[in-house]
Amino acid sequence: MKKWFNNFFLRNGLVLSLYMLLVSFIWIIVMFVLPQIFMFDFSFRFNWTQIDPSKIGGPEDVYTLQHYKFLLFGSPNNPDPFNIVDVSVFAHTILTAVFVTFFDLLLCYPVAYYLAHVAKGGVTRLMMLSLVVPFWINELLRAFAFRILFGEEGSINNILVFLGILSQPIDFVRENVALYTGLGYAYILLMIFPIYNAVESLDRNQIEAARDLGSPWWRIHLRVVIPFAKPGITSGCTMVFMLSAGALALPQIIGGPSSLWFTQIIYQWFNTGSNWPRGSAYAVSLLVICVILVLMIMKIFKVKFGEIGR
Amino acid sequence: MSSATFLRLTISFYIFLFFAYLFGPLIVMSITAFNSAGFPRLSPWDCFSTEWFGVLVNDARMMSGFKNSLIIGIAVVFVSVPIGLAGALMLSQLSDRVRPVFYTLTISTILVPGVVLGISTLIFWDRMGAMFNTGYESFFYDGIFLTIIGQSTFISAYTMLVFISRLQRFDSVLEEAALDLGATNIQYFRKILLPFLKPAIGSAAVLAFLASFENYNTTVFTIVSESTLTTVLASKVRYGINPSISALAVIIIGLTLTAAFIHEVLKRREHARNNEQIKEKRPIKLKNYSRKNFSNPISVMVLLIFVAGLGTAWMAKGYDVNQCKIDVSREKRKRQEELTQKRLVEMQKKLEAQQSTSGSSKSLKKSAPGTDHYGSIFAPTNLEGQVESTKQKEEITETEKKQYQNIFAPTNLESQVKSED
Repeated sequence: MKKWFNNFFLRNGLVLSLYMLLVSFIWIIVMFVLPQIFMFDFSFRFNWTQIDPSKIGGPEDVYTLQHYKFLLFGSPNNPDPFNIVDVSVFAHTILTAVFVTFFDLLLCYPVAYYLAHVAKGGVTRLMMLSLVVPFWINELLRAFAFRILFGEEGSINNILVFLGILSQPIDFVRENVALYTGLGYAYILLMIFPIYNAVESLDRNQIEAARDLGSPWWRIHLRVVIPFAKPGITSGCTMVFMLSAGALALPQIIGGPSSLWFTQIIYQWFNTGSNWPRGSAYAVSLLVICVILVLMIMKIFKVKFGEIGR
Repeated sequence: MSSATFLRLTISFYIFLFFAYLFGPLIVMSITAFNSAGFPRLSPWDCFSTEWFGVLVNDARMMSGFKNSLIIGIAVVFVSVPIGLAGALMLSQLSDRVRPVFYTLTISTILVPGVVLGISTLIFWDRMGAMFNTGYESFFYDGIFLTIIGQSTFISAYTMLVFISRLQRFDSVLEEAALDLGATNIQYFRKILLPFLKPAIGSAAVLAFLASFENYNTTVFTIVSESTLTTVLASKVRYGINPSISALAVIIIGLTLTAAFIHEVLKRREHARNNEQIKEKRPIKLKNYSRKNFSNPISVMVLLIFVAGLGTAWMAKGYDVNQCKIDVSREKRKRQEELTQKRLVEMQKKLEAQQSTSGSSKSLKKSAPGTDHYGSIFAPTNLEGQVESTKQKEEITETEKKQYQNIFAPTNLESQVKSED
């Protein structure tokens, strides 16, 4: 370790070494790790700021599990065995995020493969550009677009009624159709690029060889392309899953009024609920469950964390 | 062979559908910005108008949010580009044992939900403020400061990824050569490394600004009492929507397309220059070709803008929004009047029909269905009731049926047919 530092300073000089070390330290430790630890710590505290600010730091300012208990079992006079609202919202959020991830994978894999191996020069560039352009536009505006499309007076309903397919307009927002398609839409790019990067580095000769040996197209994908692109697929899925589970804007705008997203509950605890410790306990739960799920998937598919984001 | 053609067609169709999914919502939204109706919609189309852009510009909250967003975006660029650069350089020099840990930590900043980042930043600085016992007006509680820090946490990882991909193409021989020739570390950094990284710095800055500008999840927690464009937008979209938001989308889409276009042109120019450098000794022909290659899109674009401008001017000349609006509202009123008239007539007919029905049935027999009809004359389900009641009357004798056929109401006939089936 000491040797490494010596070499490091020798190679970069004092100023640059200090710049690199200090800035990296501030970024990773002060901006990222410490806040997470503080949030974790905060989630075990009583909500003294609201109840009685004078008790902060006093003898009664001890750790408590009450916020996690609340997430699981609700308030003490809750007659149900579980906190049905919060737990079911949690399950709904996770399941929907998984569903959205699969939807995006199915949607994007063919396009990524097409981009990498079928499309030629100019077309590829044009397609890449047109892939990126929608994602420079604000997430909220994209949600707004979906609201225009899917509202009860929206364009899709108008078209379907006009064509006579529907006799009554369907409230897509209430049925959460708008939310699912919107979430799928929002993270297409994050799915396509990792898969594209992985598939692109596949030697075309391998595909040709498989084809020459008489393999049908679907088996080529199953046995040659997908195993090769596995790191890309996993990293795309990880990003889409984490981001859709943690989405806030889309559920707020196009989520059905009867079904909440877990982040919305967190938001409520912070804003209208004025209970920051409980909000952080909820946030910690979301983070921990998501990370465990992702690590499990990585273990199953034997992909290392370091391969993500490449 | 035909199966191969079929496969190709299917793939093309799929790609087409995919891009329709990608662009459809944006196109629909853009079009609604020009509809004068108070609710963003395609149909019914009222009038072509640009009034919503005016509404947008005069929206004070939106504008102050926009200003804050700009400030935050620029600050985030200045914070996250140096951080990303330091991270990328650091990563290239770490030992093989530490590198995965460092990489995992930096990438985690992207993967951790933005909501969690926002909350943790808010709590951390709140506690720091409490620890140093500063007042609420100190920067620990300042929404803009917190937002810059919170956003930079993960945007730095984006910029780092940009730098990493550029550094992978760096020839480390250059470093050795510079140092061997007596350059100091700082000279090497300034004269060799930074110029090499210049394009990456540019794209990292653009990426950082865009990511900051459109961020909502982190911002909504860290902004506290201030507002940015996205938080204003979110509250607007949640509580009642109007097409001025579509107008904003049109502006942003326009800017994005322009930026993408410029980016493409610059890239082509660079490409062409590289080609020229490589094939410098070739005759002039190639040079001409490459110049034509990148000047063409520009001329096409200029021409398009010119034509579009002319078209708009011509349209504006022969088109008056207010006149159109008056026409539309008049038409609407007319349609409404017609509708009410129609409904009145229908109702009258129905009334007469039912009167005669019940009258005739009463004169024959004092049957219960007849009295029923009186009770529900104005109910919207009247017709259905009639069908049912005629069904009930199926058992009634032949003579009565004949009398029913005399009834003049057109709807009655239909129900009769049904009941006879």
